[in-house]
Amino acid sequence: MAKAMLIDVSKCIGCRACQVACKEWHDLPAEETTNRGTYENSPDLSADTWTKIIFKEHGNDGALRWLFRKHQCMHCTDSACVNVCPTGALQRHPTLGFVTYDRNKCSGCGYCVEFCPFGIPRMDRESNKLLGTGLMGGKCDFCIDRVSHGLEPACAKACPSGAIKYGEWEDLVAEGKQRVKVLKEKHPDANFYGEHELGGLHMLYVLDERPEVYDLPVDPQMPAAATALNVGEWTGVGLGLLVGAGMLGAVILARARMIEKKKEESAEG
Amino acid sequence: MQKAEKEKGFWASIVEPIGDIIATLIHDALFDDPGRPGVKRFSLQARVFHWTIAGLVILMGITGLILFVPGWGAIALAGWTRIIHRLCAYAFGVVLVLYFITYPKASLAFIKEAFTWKKEDIGWLKAATDYYTGGEESKMPAQGHINPGQNLWQLITIVCGVIFFVTGAILCFAKGAVSPAVFQWSLFTHALAFIIGSSMLIVHAVLGALHPRMSESLRSMITGKVSEEYAKSHYGKWYEEISKQL
Repeated sequence: MAKAMLIDVSKCIGCRACQVACKEWHDLPAEETTNRGTYENSPDLSADTWTKIIFKEHGNDGALRWLFRKHQCMHCTDSACVNVCPTGALQRHPTLGFVTYDRNKCSGCGYCVEFCPFGIPRMDRESNKLLGTGLMGGKCDFCIDRVSHGLEPACAKACPSGAIKYGEWEDLVAEGKQRVKVLKEKHPDANFYGEHELGGLHMLYVLDERPEVYDLPVDPQMPAAATALNVGEWTGVGLGLLVGAGMLGAVILARARMIEKKKEESAEG
Repeated sequence: MQKAEKEKGFWASIVEPIGDIIATLIHDALFDDPGRPGVKRFSLQARVFHWTIAGLVILMGITGLILFVPGWGAIALAGWTRIIHRLCAYAFGVVLVLYFITYPKASLAFIKEAFTWKKEDIGWLKAATDYYTGGEESKMPAQGHINPGQNLWQLITIVCGVIFFVTGAILCFAKGAVSPAVFQWSLFTHALAFIIGSSMLIVHAVLGALHPRMSESLRSMITGKVSEEYAKSHYGKWYEEISKQL
């Protein structure tokens, strides 16, 4: 059964315990950043920062609201990155539904960066500055090592306010929609995000404002070129083998027939 | 001792023909031997151009393909394959432009020829399957300097070359300047050109180097000459023309 995380932004207090827990569990180094006049830090996802809280100052009829949203890989069911990944480094987990990433298979082509509708993957170009290449630095892996051993993901475990909840996808969808109903009384724009987007996200959001307020794309789509590239790769392999085998067959057949003809001619002559 | 000799014999059987080709090519490139028997088919500059492009294309093909082959990813990660890929692409452009500037007439004729198609050419292509699987040579109509199959290859090299060049330039220089969709479709089209181009390159290489029907094809691209019998049987019209000139 597919698992998911439900992120209820209305419960998030912006403490960033999830960010720290993520770094801690995955042994990711801290990054030095500069003061940009905001409590939001790190400024962006990176090769070593797989999740972060986005801080928003949202004006609503003169009343300023401070909004927080946990940002990371959305683990789409129709995942563009998996479609374009040529080496199989990015894959969909067959039962749990997450998008997994295997560094050992990655060729660093960077297609996932170009095709992700949410703009999540980051390349670790720092590791090879001279040539400007490197692995995809990594992305949220849904704590696959914890989850597959019956533990909840590190961020969900660390969250003190219950804004991150881990569980069965169906259960969390039902729970999230229920919560949206409650929130609607105070926030008319409240909505549930992730049930239908890209075949269903495995990061589900309860939002108290419209998705665009939280920098989430409205109705994200699988890029058509991603599907084309996926089909093209397999067609290419098939065509290459077919042409190679065909030509080899032609050479062998032609040689045999031409030798036979020569024999006939010499027998006649 | 005996075993060691045997092994050497095996490798020599592979290396020697290749060495022979390279040595002949270099020799003929340096000394355009007019004494060699046969009919002149390819000029020296055309042969040098052909093998320069061939080398660059094969290097680019391999360094590009590395990104796509599971298990080869580690090679691409070191980064030098990408550098080779790009350097070859720049060299490819420079070589093309230089050749065009130096031999504009021949280049334009080449392009014009590739886009010139007659009705009977399609008929030839249909009959080619039997021809290349050992069918009667006499059944095929007499051809000019190249046959329609070779003309098709010329057309594909031009079309794929242009696609590679345009999409490659976008991927190389226009990241961020074009919309994500344009960049994504450039990636796809670059890969598509590779699929079409490399498939046809297999056909070209096998026909040119291995196929018994085209027995003098590889040699002619190295030495520049074919025997009179070969010219007569494969390119009848062309042979008539050059016989008149002689």
